Order: sequence, then C-alpha cells, then structure tokens
Amino acid sequence: MQNAKDSFYVALRNRLAVINPARTVTLRAVQRPSIMVEEAEPPQVQLANDIFVLRWRAETVNLQLPSVLTQTTCEIRYATSGSQQNAGLDRGRALTEMDKELLAMLTPLQTQKLNFTQTPAAVMQTFVFWTEPTLSPVEVLRDQLSRTATVTVFAFEEQGE
Amino acid sequence: MSTTTTLLSTPLVTRRVQAYFAPVNRAQEQATIFDPAVNGSFNLSAPPAPWVALGWIENFARQSGSKVAPLSSGSPATTLYQVRESTDATVSFAFKTWSKLSMALAAGAQHMNVLAAPLTGIAIGSGAKATPAAALGVGSSATSLVMSAPTSLTAGSIVSVDADYLGQTGWIGSGISAAYVNSASAVGDDADYVRRVSFNVGRVVSATSTTLQLAQPLLAGNPSTGMKVQQVLGFVDREGGSFFPEWSAVFVMQGEQGDRLIFHYPRLQPTSYPREVSNVLAAAIEMVGPQAAFRALPVVDGNDGEQVLCYRTYLPSPSALV
Repeated sequence: MQNAKDSFYVALRNRLAVINPARTVTLRAVQRPSIMVEEAEPPQVQLANDIFVLRWRAETVNLQLPSVLTQTTCEIRYATSGSQQNAGLDRGRALTEMDKELLAMLTPLQTQKLNFTQTPAAVMQTFVFWTEPTLSPVEVLRDQLSRTATVTVFAFEEQGE
Repeated sequence: MSTTTTLLSTPLVTRRVQAYFAPVNRAQEQATIFDPAVNGSFNLSAPPAPWVALGWIENFARQSGSKVAPLSSGSPATTLYQVRESTDATVSFAFKTWSKLSMALAAGAQHMNVLAAPLTGIAIGSGAKATPAAALGVGSSATSLVMSAPTSLTAGSIVSVDADYLGQTGWIGSGISAAYVNSASAVGDDADYVRRVSFNVGRVVSATSTTLQLAQPLLAGNPSTGMKVQQVLGFVDREGGSFFPEWSAVFVMQGEQGDRLIFHYPRLQPTSYPREVSNVLAAAIEMVGPQAAFRALPVVDGNDGEQVLCYRTYLPSPSALV
C-alpha cells in the first residue's frame, strides 16, 4: 500500500504546483508545494495554516480478487486564517479557495502507481484511484477556519509489493 | 494401554468457488472430461492441461430442472413407482475479473477480437475491416513470435495469431472452436475472419523489431505454418446472432479442513446474452464483472453408459469420518 500512498501524495502535490504555483511552503529549508503527509513530517501540535495535510486512517484489504485490492481512508485537513494584509477578514474566501484547489487536485480521480523506492521512480502496472471527497463542516478555532476532506484510496497490490 | 483416534464428521466450510474451463472440440463433439480419480486433488493454482483457471467466481448457483413424477395405480390411486420425466440442469455465476476467456464464457453468443483497423475504414459495430496481418517467420514458439519482417508492435500490444480464412466452412479457430462459418459469403470472404474470432491471443511483454515475447503461451501451442499476426485492441460480443459456444467446466469449493467439493459440467452452453453484475466499492465506485449462465448438456458416462449432465465429487478431509 505504501506505493499507492506515495503515488497519491505525489499526484496531488504535482497537481497543486500547476493549479496554484504560489501556494508553497518552506519545510526543512526546502520550498515546495503546500501539501504534506502528516506521518512523514515532525509532529505538530496545531494544524498549520494554508497547507494541505494528508493523514492516513483506516485500511482494509479485499482478498477475494486475484489481485489484492487495498482501500485506505485519507483525511486531507487544511486551515486558514486569511491574509495579513486583509487582517484575516478574507479567511472565508481563503478557505473557499483551498476547497476549490483541493477539488481540482483530486481530479481526475486516479493516477498511475509509481514505486518511489528507486530513482527515478518506476512506473508500475496499475492505477491508484479514489472516491469523490466528502467535505466536513467548517471548524472555527478563534481566527482559524479549517476543514477535513475524506477520500477512500484504492489500489491493487502488484507482484513484489 | 490403547490409543483411540476420534474422527470428526464436519461440514464443508469454504470461502470461495474457483472456476476452471476447457474447450469442447466441436468438430469431434468431444467434451473435456475431468477425471476426479486422476486429478481430483490438483493444485488449485496449477490446473491440469487443458483446464484454464479463471479465478474466483461469486454468486455460484446450481439449479436442477430435472423432473421426477409418480406413477400411480388403483383406486384410490397409490404411487407405485417413480419415473424420470426429464433431466435438466443450469448453473450461473459472476466472474470477478474481465479477460478474453471470462468475457467469451459469459458472452452467450459469438465472441470476437476487435482487430486494429485503418481510420478510413467503413464503421462496423464489431470492428472495421482490419489492417493487413503480418506473416510469421521461422522459429516461432507458443511464447515467442518471430516476424518475417520488422514490426511496429510494441510491448503491451495484444495480438491474435491464427491462419488466414480461405473460404472453408464449419468450425474455425486454432486451439478452441471459436466460430462456425456457414458460408464464405456470410463472413464476407474476409481473410482476417479466423483471427477476428480466434482464442489464440496473447499480450506482448517485450518486443524487438522482429520478435514478440508473449506473457502467456498461446492456447494452440506453437504457431503452425501460414499463421499470421494481427493487433487486437479489445474484445466484443453481441446481443444476437445464432452461434452457441460450448465449454467444459469444473468448479471447486476447497474446504477449510482439507476436504474438497468438485462440480464438473462436461458440456455447458449459455442460456443468456451478455450481462454484468456490479458490487459497490464505495459511493460512486462500482466493481463490475461479467455474469454467466449456462445449461448443461449430456455426455455418456464411461462406467455405465448413463447420460449425465454434471458430476459432483466430494473428497473428504483426511480426518473426517466417511
């Protein structure tokens, strides 16, 4: 399933870089598209603003097929407090913009599965695909608005995985 | 001091049904017979030739349409005997995956290859007249095709490997009787018609300009002289047509205690046209497989000459009472 998780994240990251090249973050001195996998970064006590954070949750496998079909729930959490120049009064608009970017990132609802344990990444035989996202109600914490989108990511296990 | 071994009688506990199919030689009217005495304990992942594993199936349902009636006499009438009025059996199930063979089995009628065609051809629902075939050179095998001239086919291509149609009538197709031709005019005297219906197909896994390596051996074995190669884009079947495919089938329920239940249908013909069954994976995502339904036709049992539609064999667990 790791290849599927990696492929899903990289697909979203690459798409975000095209959809909104200005949405970047500097992590460990490297500027990159503003999306990260929670379990692959240092723990954070609070959800950072203006970044998409992927959190992998429940995982199940379907063994009734010739190729094992895995499905994993991915929560994509994001928050914003708006912009400083507008004193945060644009936080609703900023969240809507992130909603829009997220939906664009998730479309099309599939991507080629890649193996990132080698460089360059090797193209595998199947595609990773996922459900349309379910968006939670907006959560308000002082000046911060946040939302969680949930998708289920499917992938067929290939030989050697 | 004595030791008593207690043998258990247990129900068959199984998780899945596995399906295996083999061709019926239509020209000779010979089904492929599965012999439980010889092959009953076969490795489910490596069935004996010529059986082809088609994986796990679901919604497996056997139905007997055989009728038994009482023969009565006297007043009041009393049943004295029973008579067998008719023998009939059907079986249905859904394949979990799509392949050439699973689609053909579930087709219910003629199944065809969609041959690659020039873009300028006249549109035909089952595929336009094909791009001309490429001849095979010397040294081809069931897994390696040596072309007589450089080819543009690449890894990932699907190919149909069979002879030209030369105006013959009757059963055609190498390895498996793929179609019945009534007259050359019915198939437009099309030189590619055998390759259009052939089951002798394979996926190219690697290619050079003159050699194509296949992922699996061709069903008909090493190509014979005169066979040619054409690119296949996919497969097509139709609601309609007069052709009845026929297959031999084995279904296996493997028990958790090592026991095994085997159903063998020597001759199956479809009772329905193409249908699909879907399982919901998640909201707006479905898993779709071909649905198959068959009627069993009889063979003569070699032990006592009785006409038989299907066999049920139970191989007990090593620890079970019999």
